[in-house]
Amino acid sequence: MQANQNESLVRAENLHKRYGNVQALRGISFEIKKGEVFGLLGPNGAGKTTTIEILVGLRQPDEGSVQVCGLDPARESNELKQRIGAALQATVLPDKMSVEEALRLFASFYKQHVPIESLLEDFGLAEKRRAFFDTLSGGQKQRLALALALVNNPELVLLDEPTVGLDAMLRRDIYAIIERFRSEGRTVLLTTHYIEEAERLCDHVAIIDQGRVVAMGTPRELIDRSGKGTRLEVRLAKSVPVDRLKQIDAVLDCHETDGIYMVHAQPATQAIVGLIHFLETDKNTLLDLHIAQPSLEDVFVEMTGRKLSE
Amino acid sequence: MMNVIRMAVMIIRMVMRTKVALFFTFLFPCIFLFIYAGIFAHGNPNAVAYMFGQVLTLNILGAGFFGLGLQAVMQRERGTLRRYRLAPISSLTIVASNLLANYLIQIPVVGLLLACAMLVFHMPFKFSFIPMILFLLTIGIFAFAGYGLTIASVSNTMQEVQVYNNLAWFALVFLSGISIPLPILPHWIQTVATFLPATYLVSMFQAVMAQSEPISAHMPELMTLIVSGFAGLFIAWKLFRWEKEERIPSKNKLWALSLLIPIFLMGFYMNVYANPSASWGRSYSRMIKQISAVVGSANGAEGKPLEDFESATASQDISNSWKVTSDPGTPAEFSILPAKFSIISPGANGTQHALWVHGVMAGSGPGHVTVEAAGGLSIPATTKTFNGIEFWIRSDGSRPYRFALRNEEAEQESMPEITLTPSSKWESVRIPAPPFAQANAPTNQSTHLIITITPLGPSGNFSVDIDEIKTY
Repeated sequence: MQANQNESLVRAENLHKRYGNVQALRGISFEIKKGEVFGLLGPNGAGKTTTIEILVGLRQPDEGSVQVCGLDPARESNELKQRIGAALQATVLPDKMSVEEALRLFASFYKQHVPIESLLEDFGLAEKRRAFFDTLSGGQKQRLALALALVNNPELVLLDEPTVGLDAMLRRDIYAIIERFRSEGRTVLLTTHYIEEAERLCDHVAIIDQGRVVAMGTPRELIDRSGKGTRLEVRLAKSVPVDRLKQIDAVLDCHETDGIYMVHAQPATQAIVGLIHFLETDKNTLLDLHIAQPSLEDVFVEMTGRKLSE
Repeated sequence: MMNVIRMAVMIIRMVMRTKVALFFTFLFPCIFLFIYAGIFAHGNPNAVAYMFGQVLTLNILGAGFFGLGLQAVMQRERGTLRRYRLAPISSLTIVASNLLANYLIQIPVVGLLLACAMLVFHMPFKFSFIPMILFLLTIGIFAFAGYGLTIASVSNTMQEVQVYNNLAWFALVFLSGISIPLPILPHWIQTVATFLPATYLVSMFQAVMAQSEPISAHMPELMTLIVSGFAGLFIAWKLFRWEKEERIPSKNKLWALSLLIPIFLMGFYMNVYANPSASWGRSYSRMIKQISAVVGSANGAEGKPLEDFESATASQDISNSWKVTSDPGTPAEFSILPAKFSIISPGANGTQHALWVHGVMAGSGPGHVTVEAAGGLSIPATTKTFNGIEFWIRSDGSRPYRFALRNEEAEQESMPEITLTPSSKWESVRIPAPPFAQANAPTNQSTHLIITITPLGPSGNFSVDIDEIKTY
């Protein structure tokens, strides 16, 4: 699938949505280019699902505008559904519907669809083709949900928290499927609250919190933009006041948790030299040192003052 | 349209794979049929025909409220509809496919009920009934789908829809003549019943099945149900919600009340311009007369003895007065006399002798050989009151028998008859007198009647004892 990288497939501008007293979206804007995997990263309740539901035409924004595949999801819903595929959180089908029946039924709703046999093979469901939905494991249900999202060979795939509730191994299975989407040149919008998922899968990420986009860019850009520098996790034989560590050259910030000093430094090598020198002077011993590059989690904490899991 | 058909086929498959759904779809209506036909109708075929409409209406109500309405809310609560919503199909497709599936499932159910009623209870049936039953079934399913889906569309949760459904269900079942015949209920309840849609469906089924009335005689009732169906489905479509988080505003619940308009107009029309109570009363009286033919009482009124099989020449007498016949097309291998008469001892009710009719049924279905034992009875001119014939019967409970009275001289199309399965204990049976026997009987001449005994059911041996035939 050849993708014109400059062509914009999704454009959301200033989206607002309120449910009763809850303001779910407060002016979300972003753009997704054709052929990229775009991630909406944020904690639960940030507005990710509402955003994706507006994009597929299930909800209408109170304010703002949306264009998906050049169509208005609210007014041209049926035409849009022919061109996109979506897997919302926790896909539920009738208990006694078999995997193959589900794929064939949903395929029949579209003007064109991919061969069911290839979907069964590609998603590892061939052996489960006659299994009823209520007998499938969580991972198999999720693979079926993804297969259903692809049944019409869509230009754009929207996945709402595709790995939520799955264990690490099943999550890696799903990552492999999404990576295959990318290698096929499909455009993917993915919502997640897993940092690892966003860093591994997404070409571009929009970090959203409380209905707002707080940062947007490639994962590398976002990390580089972070002012926190490299993170040094330091364990010492004797405790020292945090303020004294902050005085070391190239140390930007420092705080202590359970006897471990989290030192943010830029450049890291200069801070490490300074730290060794300080310990010699102070007659202290370095017990452990971990050097970690900043992550999207750090970016999120920096932007919001909270952790993603909070 | 193809999406509707595909979805409907899938829904039917789901039902066929779910044991609970199979039980409530196929077995449950049969249980009701056996309760109504076996207990309420005493197994009397004509009374079964009267009550068959009640069973069908009960089934249609269940399909509308619990099959369709409850399922709609369940699909919404589970999140199944949410997945369908992502596909390019409309809410109308969902509503229409559920309605179509519900209807298609009911056709074999009605076939099963008809087969049970005919084979087990020998309900009289004409092939001309089939299009009428299918027509009424279609109208009934359509109308009550409208009610069920409307209730579902204004309910936010499973608990809420169950409350509404049960309220509607019990009101309709007990006040529409489905469980308790309207003519025995107080007049004010009969008035209320004219405002309930199920009343019209039951009465139309009864008119068609038990009285062979044309459907065209019930156009206002038909139109009411059709309008209700359209209105209900329109409301259900307009208020359709895909997701459980979508709550229905209170003002939208008022939409559901518009469904009451055609029913209110119909009730008003019936009370002002028609007299439905009289019609219900006539068909009910007729049914009761048929049921009361079997009294099962050992203390029947003292009547005029006609035949007690006690005389010393009883064996000789019965060879003159009792005859046995079989179908003219009896195959050669069954050309032997299919039934015999014998005098046995002791008889019923402390008497010494009784008549034993026994033989072999040659077959059933095509080529079925009907055996009919017939005995001549003479009602003396001196009989002051003659309401019918009473006698004692006994068998082994293995097969039903039809007992009928007919005039020896005249061919009558409508003979009083009862069908029952006698047990191994003596029991008293009454057959009401045919109108001709009373109206045409000259005061100075005896009335000659023939009592016929026809074993029913599969091929094999049959055996029935009869004693103490008298008038009542």
